[in-house]
Formats: sequence, structure tokens, C-alpha cells
Amino acid sequence: MYSQDNSQSQGLLRMKKPNLPVSKRSLFSWVRTSSLKLQGLLVVVIAITVFARVVPLEMQKRIVNEAIFLRKIDLLLTYCGIYLVAVLAASGLKFLINTLETIIGQRALADMRKDLYHHILTLPLNFFRKTQPGLVVNALVSELSTSGNFVGMAVAAPVTNILTLLAFASYLIWLNPLLGIISLSIYPIVVFIVPMVQRGANKANKKRVDTARNMSDKITESVSGIHEVHSNAAYHIENRKFDAIVNKLLKIRIVWSLYRFGVKVLNNFFVNLSPFLIFLLGGYLAMKGQLELGALVAFLSAQEKLYTPWKELIEFYQVYEDASVRYKRVMQYFDALPEHAIEAEDRETHDLAGPLNVKDLTFVTESGIRLLDGINLDLQAGEQLALVGFSGSGKSTLALCIGQLYKYNSGHVLLNNFEVSNLSKQDMVHNMGFVSQSPFIFTGTIEDNLMYSCLAQVNGDLQLDREQLPSLDDIIEVLQQTGIFVDVLRFGLNAVLEKTQHQNLIEVLIRIRENFQRDFGEALADYVEFFNENKYLYHSNVAENLTFGTSNNNTFETERLSENTYFQNFLDEADLKRPLLELGSELSRQTVDILGNLPADEVFFKQSPIMADELDDYKILVEQLKNKKLHQLNAEEQERLLHLALRFTPGIHKMVGLPQILERLILEGRSLFREKVTIDFPDDFSFYQLTDYIYNETILNNIFFGKTKTENPQAQEKINQSIIQLLIEEDVLETIVEIGLQFQVGSKGDRLSGGQRQKLAIARSFLKKPNLLIMDEATSALDNSSQARIQRLLETRWKGHATLIAVVHRLDIIKNFDKIAVLKAGKIVELGGYEDLIAKKGMLYELVHGKK
Amino acid sequence: MNSFTGKSDGGDTSEFQEDLNIFREIYFFAGLPLDMLKLLAYLSTRDTYKPGDVLFEQGDEDDRAYFIIAGQATLEDSTGGQTRPIRTYQQGDFIGGLALLGRVRRLFALKATTDLVCLSITREKFTKALEQFPENMPKIIKAIIERISAWDDRFLKESTSDHCEACRNNAGVSLL
Repeated sequence: MYSQDNSQSQGLLRMKKPNLPVSKRSLFSWVRTSSLKLQGLLVVVIAITVFARVVPLEMQKRIVNEAIFLRKIDLLLTYCGIYLVAVLAASGLKFLINTLETIIGQRALADMRKDLYHHILTLPLNFFRKTQPGLVVNALVSELSTSGNFVGMAVAAPVTNILTLLAFASYLIWLNPLLGIISLSIYPIVVFIVPMVQRGANKANKKRVDTARNMSDKITESVSGIHEVHSNAAYHIENRKFDAIVNKLLKIRIVWSLYRFGVKVLNNFFVNLSPFLIFLLGGYLAMKGQLELGALVAFLSAQEKLYTPWKELIEFYQVYEDASVRYKRVMQYFDALPEHAIEAEDRETHDLAGPLNVKDLTFVTESGIRLLDGINLDLQAGEQLALVGFSGSGKSTLALCIGQLYKYNSGHVLLNNFEVSNLSKQDMVHNMGFVSQSPFIFTGTIEDNLMYSCLAQVNGDLQLDREQLPSLDDIIEVLQQTGIFVDVLRFGLNAVLEKTQHQNLIEVLIRIRENFQRDFGEALADYVEFFNENKYLYHSNVAENLTFGTSNNNTFETERLSENTYFQNFLDEADLKRPLLELGSELSRQTVDILGNLPADEVFFKQSPIMADELDDYKILVEQLKNKKLHQLNAEEQERLLHLALRFTPGIHKMVGLPQILERLILEGRSLFREKVTIDFPDDFSFYQLTDYIYNETILNNIFFGKTKTENPQAQEKINQSIIQLLIEEDVLETIVEIGLQFQVGSKGDRLSGGQRQKLAIARSFLKKPNLLIMDEATSALDNSSQARIQRLLETRWKGHATLIAVVHRLDIIKNFDKIAVLKAGKIVELGGYEDLIAKKGMLYELVHGKK
Repeated sequence: MNSFTGKSDGGDTSEFQEDLNIFREIYFFAGLPLDMLKLLAYLSTRDTYKPGDVLFEQGDEDDRAYFIIAGQATLEDSTGGQTRPIRTYQQGDFIGGLALLGRVRRLFALKATTDLVCLSITREKFTKALEQFPENMPKIIKAIIERISAWDDRFLKESTSDHCEACRNNAGVSLL
């Protein structure tokens, strides 16, 4: 009983948020939900401000009529003092009002953005097929910002300005009723005319929003299709399409702006008419002696003061119109509902371990294409089903319907007797693991991506639910099962350790280095270039070859050496400066020749001594070199060449050979450098030696006490085997894997291979231990042995524990599935065990053996 | 064997220049502009193998093409459990060009029989390079078509001269 209450109160907590989807909310509702305390404070401040604005007027009149007329200095000082205080107060309060407006407006904007983003993420997959990412970006980033401004002004602007207007108007009437009424008579005309012009502006604004949306669609399209554009050199076609939209937008924006300025001009015109009336009438009355001169002055300046609040009121009106047009346009676009409840509020999550029954399942696309047609299928809990058929037969669609990613139109999918379309997302993710054809990997570490599914289950709170998350042992087990273990280990071995971390590990690594030299030194000598004081290192750069050590003085870092004066003097002394400049110029010439016109792609620049972002500088330098001799270059240009030469690594940068003379000079230089540095900087340098860890090198190079020569997969395999053995002996394998889990996978996982991305996605689902596992061609990018490994795992470890639906592309792995369904044109044409179907010599037989 | 010992002692010729010359002579890349060949030569890598080392296994999805700079390698077929040598490749042979154009599963295994030095390029690198020079795809297709046609022609002629009349039934790959 108690626990039930508890869960109910949790439900109520969730209910606190308004149930109305954000896309249905009106612009004004954001004013209501903004901070009422702040709005109240704002009204109080405004009331004081209005008072502070009227005071100077009265003072003005009194100064003229009383102080000056009666020649009383003390009154003059008093009134001027009050005037000054009132003006100061009005300015200070205006600033306070602006601050409050900004806080309220920006908070509302932040809420709008968050709510809309949260809403958009839950929209059905179908919605995103029709929607370009650019449009969502544009809506969230730019279109909503005026709505935020509006919410900030919504209370302050009308209240301040209307109060001010009323105050001034009453003051005017109080001064002189006739003049007052005449000068105010202008405003009703303005109120009548301005909205007519504003309607034109609104119409143009709506078109502007739509066209801007087309433009962002177009940009997104060409960016994502850039391969096709380049390979067809279709620049003209794309330019024409884009230019047409921009021209349309140009026209719309001009019309829109003209209307907006039209409102301002009209307003100005009418408002300026009223002083004209006052001069005419007031002047006449003053001449006749029916009006005091002081009163006329006060009247004129009070009348002038009407202008500012009125102008602000009109501006507010324009902001309101603009904001409501944009707001409605944005919200209309996203006004769709999620197909499934995100979480059920009145019950616990269902346990869906049980049979799967599909009855008369039909899926029709919006355009009326029947992708699935009367599918019937029954699986016991823990049974494994393979879906096969040509592409377009509906096998992926079926898997997606079962996994609740598509909402089916008719028929039933029953999981443990629950109808899938009635279940919440929460129910599904607690029970299902889904691996898609091209899994998405998020920016972050390997670990972040592995934990993604598990974290999502506990609402993304890493701290709160640490105990519910898989342990390191679980993670390592899954890594091994999916075969990504070696890759992660490799990432760990390629990590560079920080000086302060892993003190214990470093001692062990030095020990492993000795064992490696003893056990594998000879066998792997072909793949590793060992550090040797008397040999040139072709896989290390020139700087490393010269210093042959590391420094804790950061002016001696490789990338900064070329600007280090001590080092430059050393190069002169070792007769190395000229030959290195020569090497640098040859490197820049060759590299610019090969890569000069290529885009900044990792593939092109991996083997280049010039980084992608430096290419333009070196292009200019190469132009210089055509007309100048090396000694004619200025200091900066020489430094740039030297910089490149010091990076030169013959084993990687193949465009230039290392002249033998230079090689000998550098070896000579190495010992000269050591002699000099030992005297001049005795504490700054540590030279490579077997007993010391080298901090700016990777773990692997530290174990080698050298560098790998090759990226060749067979060599890597041999190296892996020996290293793993050594790591196990010293019991640090897991530590290295832990370091590897922190590897940054790059944006969209672009630092991983296709196979690694797929293995990671499979591991991510396995880690969740789901009751239902759906794999949509999940192993298509894997090599044979990895695929076989995962297939074996499914057949042994998962059979009986999880119901498996696998969309299969390669038919060599389906023999051991409990059932095989062959799909054709959205229907199941054959269903049964492998042997039976093959014996039948029907569709499956044809698929496996080819059509005769 | 270090890849640098393979280079000439003059000091003027870099590994890149040698590789560029190799690319200019391979039929697959014949007719490609020099700028693209330079890029390919720059992107390709040299690898060394010991006798018995495997370049690719039967059934593997290998993603690169090889040019033999020095040494020998044997193509093997293990269909049906028994390993039979098919032919031997040696210095100057180019192997596996189709893998540059799309995913293929190796129907044979390639093993080094002596110390072997190969120049190889991966599909990813080749594709990226081709994207920069897209107008050259027809030239590559042309080279392949000619090659397939010539192969079929030779096969037909050889199978008449040998005692393998039955083999002739399998001719006609050029009609693909």
C-alpha cells in the first residue's frame, strides 16, 4: 500500500508540467508562466518611473512662473534640485526596467527553446524524413528569439507607456483643457491607420519566414549532398536554385522593411502635426493674453514628451506582430504528436519477456504504398527468427514495426500479450535492444557510447544510478563478446599518459618494456624501430632525432623548437641550418604540389608534414621560393621552413627522401646537442633510456622503446598478440582497456572504422541485456571472423534468454536460427526451419543457391 | 626489411617518385592525369611480408589493391577443404583493382612465398582521391572492360589448345 502511494506521488510530480504540448501553447501563455514576482516588481518600478517623469514638467513650470518671475534664488535652487533628482531617478529606473525585461524575456526564451526541443525529439521518425535539420536549427536558434523579446516587454512596455501617456495627457488637460484635447485628437487617427499598414508587414513577414525556411532547407540539402555535387561538378545547377531563393527572399525582405518603415513614418508624421496645432492656437491665445507664457512653455514640452512613450508603444506593437507571426509559424510546423506515450504515468513499467505474436500486420506509407501486408508470425520467448528477402521486400520495415519505431496501421503486434502500439517508449526500452543498419555514434568517448542505452534507461543520471549501471567487468565482457576488445585495447595503448596520473602503471610498463625486449624483441624487429642512440630513426621526426630525449622545459617542445634561439644557435654551430632550410623548402614544394588544391580531409593530411590549416601559409611561401634564394627569405619565413623540416619523418612523409649527408649531420648533431645541453640545461632534459618512461610518447611506443613502422593489419595482429600476453602477465590489461574506453571517437564517430562503429553499437545493446533483441543487418560491415563470432554468441549465450529478430543480408549465417521468414513484396512467403525450407526447394532455396 | 633500404642511393629520387613511376605503368590507372596519379602515389603505402605471411584470406572482405615491388606471392584456393595453388604473382604484377571500386569478398587467398615488398592503396583513399578528380571514372571503367575482355579472349584460346574442352563452357565473363 505504502509503495503504491509513493509511486502515485511520483506520478503527480510528473503531472505538474502542463499537459498541453508546447506547439499548442499561445504566445501569451508564456507571459502568464513567466516569473510573477518579477512581473509584479516590474509594475511597481514602472509606477514610480511614471511619477518621476511627470515631476520635471511641473518643476519646469514653477521655475519659469515662480522662481524666475518672482526672482527668488532659493526657489530656483530648490526646484532645479528636485528636477535633477527626478531626472536621475527616471534614468536609473529605466535601466532597472530594461534589466527586468531582459531577465524575464530571456528566461521565457530559454524555456521555449527547451520545451520545443524536448517536444521535437519525441516526434515520430516519419516527421524527420520530411524535415531538414537546418529547419529545426533555424526555428530553435533564430525564429524564436523575437518571441522571447516580446514576453520580456509584454507587461512593461504597455503598462509604462500607457501610464506615461495617461499621466501626460491628464497633465495637459489640467494645464489647459482646450489645448489638451486638441493635441490629443491626433492619436485616434494613428490608432486607426497604423494597423492597416502593419497588416501588409505581417503578410510579408509570413512569406519571409517560409522563404527563409526554404533557404535553410536548400543549404542543408547541398551540404549533405556535396559528394554528388562535386562528382557531377553541378555547381551551376545548385547555385541557380539557391540564387533564385535568395532573390525571392530579397524582394520579400524589401517589401517587409518598407511596410515597417511605413508604420514609423506615418506615426512620425501624425505625431508631429500636433505641435503645429499648439503653436497656432497656443500662440494666438498667448498673444490675446489668455494664456501665460510659462504655461505655454510647459504645455509645449509636456506635449513633446508624449512622443517617446507613443513611439515605444508603436514599436512594442510591431514587436508583438512580428513575434506572433514567427511564433505561430514555428509552432504550426512542429504541431505534431508523438506516436507513443513516452512513459506511462499510472503504472510500473511492463515486463515484456514472453511470446511474440504478429497478427495480420499491415503497414501503409502516407503515400499509400503497402510495405507490409497481412503478416502473421508467432515466436516463443527466447526463440530466434531470421528475416530474409531481397531489398524492398519489407524485412526491415517489419523489424521496425515490432520495435515500435514505426506505427503500424492495422493488425497486431503482441509482446507478452501487450499490444506494442499501446505500450510506452519506457516499456519498450526497458525490454528491447535495437541495433540499426548504420548505427549512430555520438561525439564523446567509447565509454559514453557504450553506456548510452543503459544510461537512457535510468533517465541519463550518471550519479544517481551508478549502482544500476553495468560494472567495468560487465563492460569488458561485452567488449570481448563483440570483438571490439582489441580495438579498445589498441586505443588505450596509443594513449599518451599525463605525468601526474597512473604512477603505478608506469612502473609496470617499464618492466613490460624489459620483458618485451627479451621475449619479442627479435621476432618483431621488422615492425618496430627501436630507439638506438647510434642510429637514425626513420619513424621519428628530425627534432626527435636531434634531441633524442624529452624536456620538461616547454620551450624545447618539438612544435616550438624552430623559434627557440638556443636551438637555432645550436643548428648553426652543427652546420645544420642551411641543409634543414633546404629540406624544408623541398618538403613545402612537394607537399603543396600534391595537396595544394585538396580539401581539409583527414585522409589527405594524415601523411603530410603540413597540417590542413597551415596549407595556405605554405602555398604563399612556395610562391616566394620561386623568386628568392633561401638566404633572401626573412626571419619569419626561414622559421616556417625550419618548422617543417623539424617535423619531417621519412617513414611517414614519403614525398621527400632524406639525403644521406643530412642523415650523418643529424647524427653528429645529436651528440653535440647532448654535450651542450648537459652543460647549459643540466636539469631540463632526460634522454631516452631503457629505465625511464617517455612521457610524450604513447604507451605502446614506451613498451617498444621505439616506434611502430607499419599500419599493416597483419603486423598489427602480431604485435597485439605479444603485447596482450605481456599485459596479462603483469595484470594491467584491464587498466589499459579502461584508458582505451576514454578514447574520443570524434564527431559522429568518424575516428572509428565502419566495423568498429557496428561492433560498438552491438556491444551497446548487449550491455543492456534486453528481453527482445532486434538486429537490422547489424553485422553487415564486419569481417568474416567478427561476424562469425557474434553469430556464435547469439546461438549460445543469447538463445533462450532473449527473443531475437534479425534482418539478415548474408545467408551463410542463418542455418541455426529457429525460424526463417522469407519476405517478398511485404508478405511472408515462407516460414519455417532452415532444413525444412531448403528441402522444400522454394524461395529460400533460390535465394541461397541462386536462380538457375 | 626496412622500406627505405629499397630506395636508390642517389638521394634525389624519393620513395614518392618511385611510387609515382609505378602508378604510371599500371594498366588500371592508365590515362589518369598526373595530378591524380601523384595523389595516389602519395596516399599509397609500402609493406613488407615474410614468407608465409597472408595478404588476404579466402572469404575476407579485403579493401585494397596491391602492386608487387619485389618478391613473389601465391594465389590459393581452399574450396572444399583442400588447398590448391592457382598461380604465382611476382615483381610488376598488380592485384585486386576491383576492390577499389566496391566491396568484394576475396574468392582466393594470397600468400607471400618469399620476402615480399608491396605497394598498396585502400578503397577509402582511392575513393577520396577519385572524388577530387571525378571526371576520370570513365577512364578507369574503360581500362577494366578492356582487361576483362582480353582475359576472356585469352581464356577461350588457351582452353582450346589445352585438353580442357569442358572449361570452354565457363567462358563469357566479358558478356557480364
